[in-house]
Amino acid sequence: MLGSLVPLDCLQPGEFGSVADISGEPEWICRMAELGMQEGCHLKMVQNGSTCLLQIGECRLCLRADKSAQILVRLQG
Amino acid sequence: MKPASTEKQQTAVAPIMTVAQKNTIEKKITVALVGNPNTGKSTLFNALTGLNQRIGNYSGVTVELKKGKFEYQKQTFDIIDLPGTYSVAARSPDEMIATNLLLGQIEDLPAPDLIISLVDASNLQRHLYLTTQLFDLGKPILLVLNMMDVAKSRGVKIDLSQLQKTLQLPCLAIQAHKQIGLEDLKKSIWQLSERLDKIELPPRIPFPAVFESVIEQIKPIFPEIKSDFLIRRLVIDVRGPLEKKYCSDEDLPRLELLNNSRTELAKQGLAVPDMEARERYRWLRQATSHFVKKEEAVSGSWLDRIDRILTHRLYGTFIFFLMMFCIFQTIFVGASPLMDGIDYLREWVGSTVESNIQIGPLRSLIVDGIIKGVGAVLVFLPQILLLFGFIAILEDCGYMARAAFLMDRLMAWCGLNGKSFIPLLSSIACAVPGIMATRVIENRRDRLATILVAPLMSCSARLPLYILLIALFLQKPWWLPGLMLFMMYLIGFISAPIMAWLFKGTILRGPRPTFIMEMPSFKVPSYKTVLFRMWEAGIAFVYRAGIIICAAMVLVWASLYFPNHDSENHSYDKQISTIQEEIDQLRHSIENLDSYSEAKEEAPLNNSDRENLEKKLEEEIQRMNLLYGQWRRQSYLGQLGRGLEPIFTPLGWDWKVGVAVLASFTAREVVVGTLGMIYNQGEVDPKEVLHLKNAADSPLGIAIQSQWQTNPDPANKIERSVSPILRALSLMIFFALCCQCTSTLAVIKRETQSWFWPLFTLVYMTLLAYVSAFAVFQLGSLFL
Repeated sequence: MLGSLVPLDCLQPGEFGSVADISGEPEWICRMAELGMQEGCHLKMVQNGSTCLLQIGECRLCLRADKSAQILVRLQG
Repeated sequence: MKPASTEKQQTAVAPIMTVAQKNTIEKKITVALVGNPNTGKSTLFNALTGLNQRIGNYSGVTVELKKGKFEYQKQTFDIIDLPGTYSVAARSPDEMIATNLLLGQIEDLPAPDLIISLVDASNLQRHLYLTTQLFDLGKPILLVLNMMDVAKSRGVKIDLSQLQKTLQLPCLAIQAHKQIGLEDLKKSIWQLSERLDKIELPPRIPFPAVFESVIEQIKPIFPEIKSDFLIRRLVIDVRGPLEKKYCSDEDLPRLELLNNSRTELAKQGLAVPDMEARERYRWLRQATSHFVKKEEAVSGSWLDRIDRILTHRLYGTFIFFLMMFCIFQTIFVGASPLMDGIDYLREWVGSTVESNIQIGPLRSLIVDGIIKGVGAVLVFLPQILLLFGFIAILEDCGYMARAAFLMDRLMAWCGLNGKSFIPLLSSIACAVPGIMATRVIENRRDRLATILVAPLMSCSARLPLYILLIALFLQKPWWLPGLMLFMMYLIGFISAPIMAWLFKGTILRGPRPTFIMEMPSFKVPSYKTVLFRMWEAGIAFVYRAGIIICAAMVLVWASLYFPNHDSENHSYDKQISTIQEEIDQLRHSIENLDSYSEAKEEAPLNNSDRENLEKKLEEEIQRMNLLYGQWRRQSYLGQLGRGLEPIFTPLGWDWKVGVAVLASFTAREVVVGTLGMIYNQGEVDPKEVLHLKNAADSPLGIAIQSQWQTNPDPANKIERSVSPILRALSLMIFFALCCQCTSTLAVIKRETQSWFWPLFTLVYMTLLAYVSAFAVFQLGSLFL
């Protein structure tokens, strides 16, 4: 399972991943990038669900499942 | 790292220097405070300015701009607190205001001489993103690192001198919460202000040469844009407000040229807008490696564990509701002693004034209208202060954002998002700041839906009526008052999402919005911030009581006082005053009789005398009540109320309650004062007032209780059959759902720039309140 590409909303609480691809509207991608969510960045799923809570570096972001499904991550240990 | 173009930056600086020089002569320096949300900006602003601050109103500016000042070394500094933002990339006209302000393009506001870029030291790279955007403005910047203690606890070490060297700008570290480093900050601001024209400007982050050449190509196409900063933003911010402003529908060729340039950039792998974030973060990653060292990740701290529980779907939601219940119970119990004190003071002032002014309209206006009316409202000040204190604590410690996260699911169901939840939760204190807080919602339809439902949240102005009626009719067992108050607030929590869902499905139909929110880290709330919020709320409440409520009370008093002559042209107040004198004499005689018996240390021998006196006293009191009743009934307001009684009757109200509700359409709090005037508190036995323990024991409480339960007004047909509990419930439900607040309607008008939406809010909420109160009373009547 490690190293495989999955949509972000499939991550379980406590699992880590690195962002491989973000798709969607340019404005949305830009907003995410400004908040530090870019290709290559490492993140941790804190709470999953229809609204999930992510940890990226020292910052915690809340994101809805419909949007987190547009982000592909590579599972990490 | 050299500036991309020194010449350009010099040009940009020239006008600022003029302003700076001019301001130096006038001894006034303007400083702009810029930073991400949750950086401690407000804490720093409050700490620097203290009570020297106000919310500015500027033409065309709809976002909240706080302005304050402080003095250091005899130099006055004006500070403008900009709304928290992650980026200067404007996506809406509101976001553009921050940029316009920084460029000095807002009327009545001078361009800032100095920008303070406040960043969270524990998350430096992310926060420096905005700082690097500010570099492009070509203005002096002071970088201030806040929350150094949090950074340290997370194993983040920052080398300040290295940072200063790498970014080429002055910087210092503070802990705004603990008031550490504030003097150094003031000193630094002062030192920089003394040599504004000599400050070396921070270099612009170098973008690829292709981008710079595109900018050079674009410049001649938009000759009206003089600022280099704005040209760059025009290219980067796709479909932003600048593009809309400079490429109108008649200007399609220019838009085509602009889009061609963007396509050219995309071909080179520099597609805007995300190119900006990539380039800036690339630069920042390299730069921060020189001055930020991170030790082994400190994982599993107790705060993280608490956070996991608080954001948990089940436990978190349960804790949220439990906390709300405890807060309302505390508000109910904790404020009683202070309320008694205020009530006592009001009685004392009233009786002092009464004994010094002759009977007539003036005495009645001052005592009945102003002192009793406004006093009846002011008595709830302790509760308001407690409520605002709790909200400030929840906000300052970072819990509000957790609540927004938990509630996002509910919000998603009604077509809104978690961001709407914070304005709604703030509306518990007052809908006015709540509606203003909707400015963080980017989507116009979502924002409008939130504005329309925010007044449904039970605000603090409803509290006086809730407290009074719950204390009177729903006091036992011990847990019922807290539960009832909690239920009243729950009505807002339930009805607001339902109405939002209805609006989003009908008049505000549109695509589902996106939701991204940053969760601030937990911190110990600053007692100064909490006290400041309480002070602000207290002042606003007293001011409201002093102006709007006082004016409404005077109007209510006048319409209840006049005409003050009966059919035989006898003045009511003179007749009542004569009876009052007789009552006083009778009481005095009874007391004399009692003290005589006590002195003789024997049972009263003259029992029959005493009984006669008591009987007489009772008769006189009844005569006075009857006269009061007559007077109120035939007053202008009484006539209006009786005329409208058929509308009030299905809700279980008599004309007295009805007119109190009508009067409270100016401001909700007026209801308590109006009830006070209608159920004239002079009728109450003063001895009972001495045993005040809560609102039920207040003169008004006793008057309402006796009037609602014993039906002293036989002329009224419905009084006999109405259960006081049902009447109280129907009245509370009506208040929970009705928009009786001119300030709220005014702020809706200001925020939506239209008269339609405040009118719509007034109509829909009044209808909703009427129908709900009707349903509660009619259904309740089947059981009680």
